[in-house]
Amino acid sequence: MFDFLTHDMLTVIWFFLWCVIWGVYFIVDSFSLGAGLLAPFIATDKVQMIQIQRSVGPFWGGNEVWLILAAGGTFAAFPLVFSKMFTFLYLPMMLLLIGLIARGISVEYLHKDESPRIQKALTWGWFVGSLLISLVLGVAFANFFKGLEIASGGVYMGTLLGLFSPYALIGSILFVLMNVTSGALWISIKTEGAIAAKAGDLAKKSTLTVLVLALVYLAYSFVGIDGFTINYSATPALYLLPILAVMTTALAVFFAKKDREFPAFCSNLLALLFVVQSGLASIYPYMLKSSVSPEYGIDIFEAASSHMTLSIMLGGALVFVPIVIIYQLWAYTLFREKITEIEQVGY
Amino acid sequence: MVELLLLSRLQFAITVAFHFLFVPLTLGLALLVAGMETIYYKNKDETWRRMADFWGRVFKINFAIGLVTGLAMTFQFGTNWGAYAEFMGDVFGPPLAVEALLAFFLEGTFFGAWIFLDRSRQKLKAFSMWMVALGTNISSLWIITANGFMQNPVGYEMAADGSKVVMTDFFALLTNSYVWYMLIHTLLSAYLLTAFLIMGICAYHFLKRNNNEVFRKSFRIAVAIALITAVLLPVLGHGYAQYVAELQPAKGAAMDAVWETGSRVPMYLIQVPDSSTGSNSVQLLEIPGLASFLYTGSFNGTITGLNQLAQDELPPVGMVFWSFRLMTILGSLFIIEALLGLYLQKSGKLYTSDKYLKLLMWSIPLPYIAITAGWIVAEVGRQPWIVYGLLKTANGISSVPISDVLLSIVLISAFYLILMVFEIYLIKKTVVNATGAE
Repeated sequence: MFDFLTHDMLTVIWFFLWCVIWGVYFIVDSFSLGAGLLAPFIATDKVQMIQIQRSVGPFWGGNEVWLILAAGGTFAAFPLVFSKMFTFLYLPMMLLLIGLIARGISVEYLHKDESPRIQKALTWGWFVGSLLISLVLGVAFANFFKGLEIASGGVYMGTLLGLFSPYALIGSILFVLMNVTSGALWISIKTEGAIAAKAGDLAKKSTLTVLVLALVYLAYSFVGIDGFTINYSATPALYLLPILAVMTTALAVFFAKKDREFPAFCSNLLALLFVVQSGLASIYPYMLKSSVSPEYGIDIFEAASSHMTLSIMLGGALVFVPIVIIYQLWAYTLFREKITEIEQVGY
Repeated sequence: MVELLLLSRLQFAITVAFHFLFVPLTLGLALLVAGMETIYYKNKDETWRRMADFWGRVFKINFAIGLVTGLAMTFQFGTNWGAYAEFMGDVFGPPLAVEALLAFFLEGTFFGAWIFLDRSRQKLKAFSMWMVALGTNISSLWIITANGFMQNPVGYEMAADGSKVVMTDFFALLTNSYVWYMLIHTLLSAYLLTAFLIMGICAYHFLKRNNNEVFRKSFRIAVAIALITAVLLPVLGHGYAQYVAELQPAKGAAMDAVWETGSRVPMYLIQVPDSSTGSNSVQLLEIPGLASFLYTGSFNGTITGLNQLAQDELPPVGMVFWSFRLMTILGSLFIIEALLGLYLQKSGKLYTSDKYLKLLMWSIPLPYIAITAGWIVAEVGRQPWIVYGLLKTANGISSVPISDVLLSIVLISAFYLILMVFEIYLIKKTVVNATGAE
């Protein structure tokens, strides 16, 4: 299969697909993570809590699979990167795992028991899980863009504390805030009543903060991160990515101010996508960039699977990714009505 | 290094064992609930709606934990088994990625749809559950395909520098004979577990004299499934034993603690293997030639004994032997219980046979134990290999600080314990509070 493509070409295609899958995950899970981050603070009573839960309940599980696909795809296409990424970042990955389990269980079980104490614990479980996921992924990806302390022979020198540089902190806070914005806008789109209004108001402020922070983060990336601009200088067209990132964050502010939540929501999702892609574009051909010296990094050609494995998976992806997208979009149309304040936990 | 290996294996054992507590029930209940939803859609009979509601509630609670703990498995391969991931990525990665594409998306997307669709859209609701059932069952195919390679490597070649396996034939991976044995065995045992759980819960309600149509009907379905699966499992298992003896002689010999090579090898009803002496310290009640028959298909067949195999490539014999014994004894018990259930139900005595009903209730954990024992036979039996004949388990681990692994074990175990308590609380509450009339 795909014999007309050389191994190197397949490898580059898979790097591109890898960026796409991560991008899709970041945007589709942003609103469920955001709803979890907001839930304990903006829901004033049980009715509103149910509204928030119902707004993401049917979708979060299917959306999270994009993360599993991203991990599984890394395993299959770039096993060396998969192994190193999880080994180097052992404890953060464990925290991410705990976050994913806590979030999943909390959302699913939130109203399966009438006890207010259990419901309260699960509300906070949802929050803590969402926060852990957002923070760990934010810190991890900022470090991928900055480069990990990989010395010669693929030896990792980094420490847990060393991951929390100012750059990584700004990146992760930006990521958390973009998720919060996504969640706020989603809630205001999907629900009716007081909670929708409150979420809409919150989005007005958070989009503005995102705009400011995105500018700081991107400026920091281009000025303060070693080697960030190499690919940009070689292919100036890439500058479109950060430019679009800034434009879409600005658009989100604009639309949120005008109470046009849906375009604001879409702008925020695009902004998220472009911010991530701006970073990913900078590391090519490395997947794990080394901050010690570029030649110690792990590049895609070194890490790639065989021609056969890459081509079988490309075939699989070309056939099944569109099918998945179609039925996931269809699932969104199943639940298109706004969630009113009289909703019961009818499940 | 020894401690790191031990801890890595311990962590893997905890995460996979916990995950696998929830998988078999998911596999079986998804199909049953899908069937109930469909029948209700067709005939609008309220009994079927109540059945779908009740078993659906049990399914929801169980499925959620199965789903999230499955994530831990994917993570493990990188965090704790990095060297294995590098060695096996070319072969192991694709089935895993395809599993996500083909199965997880179906499960994740349609589970949400099934929960939140109300009965006014019954057709879609039933359809969604079928998609979940399809997803979970496809998922088992792919994960067993990946595992099949670890048991019986096919369709690969070693990289020139011997550092990893490279896939040469994807089709060979899919048609791996081990996969089809194991898939059918695993699915059947999952359905058996589901049937016994349903029978146990129905028994609880019959004991409370709450024998309305919801539980009666559920019991009728479950006892039929229990009987079919309980009979098929040993039939299939017999073929499997011969296959294993050929494929992995050490595992085969350990399953029955055969130490010396010989023909017409007897089976002992009472037997205690002792690895330190390389013999059985107790062997009583001999059945001549039975072991030979079970492992070779002929009473005169030759079995290679453990003492004649490479000593540094033997699995822990006692663990494999006792697990295998436990599984087969429980398997026989399941057949008896199912037959008895069928007889009592046909003769109308079921709802008052308190002793039998109590037995059924207490039998709920047994299929879980049998499945875990079977899993130990299959996976511990292949030790010390992580990929049979190609990579030793000791060479598959990540080099991470021991303290990190220790910390993660404590963290995950504590977290899993909380989940377990919560899950049991919720399921118990659901089951106890149900009347079958709501």
